[in-house]
Amino acid sequence: MSQQVWKLVIVAEEILSKKLTKLIKAAGATGYTVNAAGGEGSRNVRSTGEPSVSHTLSNVKIEVLTGTRELADKITREIEAKYYADFSIITYIYPVEALRDHKF
Amino acid sequence: MTDFLPLFIEQLQSPTLGFLIGGIVVAALGSQLAIPDSIYKFISFFLLMKIGLTGGIAIRNSNFSEIILPAIGAVGIGIVIVVISRYTLGKLPGISVPDAVATGGLFGAVSGSTLAAVLPQLDSAKVPYEAWTAALYPFMDIPALVAAIVMASLYIGKKTGNTSEKVEIWPIIKESLQSSAVTAMLLGVALGILTKPEPVYESFFNPLFRGFLAVLMIIMGMEAAQRMNELRKVAQWFAIYAFFAPIVHGFLGFGVGLILHKLTGFSIGGSVVLAVIAASSSDISGPPTLRAGIPSANPSAYIGASTAIGTPVAIAICIPLFIGIAENMLGR
Repeated sequence: MSQQVWKLVIVAEEILSKKLTKLIKAAGATGYTVNAAGGEGSRNVRSTGEPSVSHTLSNVKIEVLTGTRELADKITREIEAKYYADFSIITYIYPVEALRDHKF
Repeated sequence: MTDFLPLFIEQLQSPTLGFLIGGIVVAALGSQLAIPDSIYKFISFFLLMKIGLTGGIAIRNSNFSEIILPAIGAVGIGIVIVVISRYTLGKLPGISVPDAVATGGLFGAVSGSTLAAVLPQLDSAKVPYEAWTAALYPFMDIPALVAAIVMASLYIGKKTGNTSEKVEIWPIIKESLQSSAVTAMLLGVALGILTKPEPVYESFFNPLFRGFLAVLMIIMGMEAAQRMNELRKVAQWFAIYAFFAPIVHGFLGFGVGLILHKLTGFSIGGSVVLAVIAASSSDISGPPTLRAGIPSANPSAYIGASTAIGTPVAIAICIPLFIGIAENMLGR
């Protein structure tokens, strides 16, 4: 038994982590997963694992599963309005199958 | 003045500096050497806890009112440093005012590692200082960050015509007080004043202090070499500012210390601590506060300037310079 849901992925600066997860919960998502992330984008190389005095340059990847596309779009719009201008953020979305249904 | 050079050179040979340069060299050579983040966090906690305990024990055994005037001086220096950056760095071609003010804020804020480095060097040089001077840290750190965020917000508000948004100062102060560095030090001060921590202090914190400091210096050196890449991406003015600002700020702090020396008998060694606190630029607590407070400023500019150049200059040039001057003044 599986259910078709949407997976919204947000890769962002670590200092935004708390603000983003708060926003996600407030928008109505039931949960999220946060991982440390590293890589390279148009703004800067962002590495993980090296000794880093300041966490300002670390990144996180936040994954949110939403039951509807509308909810995922709502979260994306709020993030866009608040943080796209000044912060390094990438968001993308894809359809996935959740194996435990009725959770979302 | 002829006596000053040998004193300066002797300071340059201190282990602190050697480990710092060692860290810079191995990272620049692309070494795989890595010191885990959690070790770094523990060491900075340990060092600031020890500094706090020393200060707290000193305050318990002395007159608390002595600290008031130097604390006011520290607040003033923190704010003046931001104003200087606004009207020097901020006036240069191609530098945005938010970038300049954020850099000034970081240079006005205080580095726990630089503070940890100056104290044992003063002990080695046998220059006496009030042990509570380290407790001046938050008095300069927080006003500098607040001043930077307020000045940047006022500038951005004026430019965009949106002056209705007020800067909330209390959240900035709260965030600074809750930062790991300031919390560790204030907890140490409180434990030093309220409890009698001498047994753990003598057996644990004091004997390990210099060793952990040496490890921290390697980490700071490696970090400096890595952040050079960030700095290369921004205007060269940031590198020039980062080199001269710690020295200018150090003299500002030393000058304020000497005025207090004449007025209240604040020690010459205490003036050195004040000078080095002014010369140092924040590497732990400052950057996240500024990133959140001035989001339009480029973090590569201010973190690169502070970590890649500001901190090495403060440790390698300012500490030996001001200890040398102090020894000269004390007639050695």
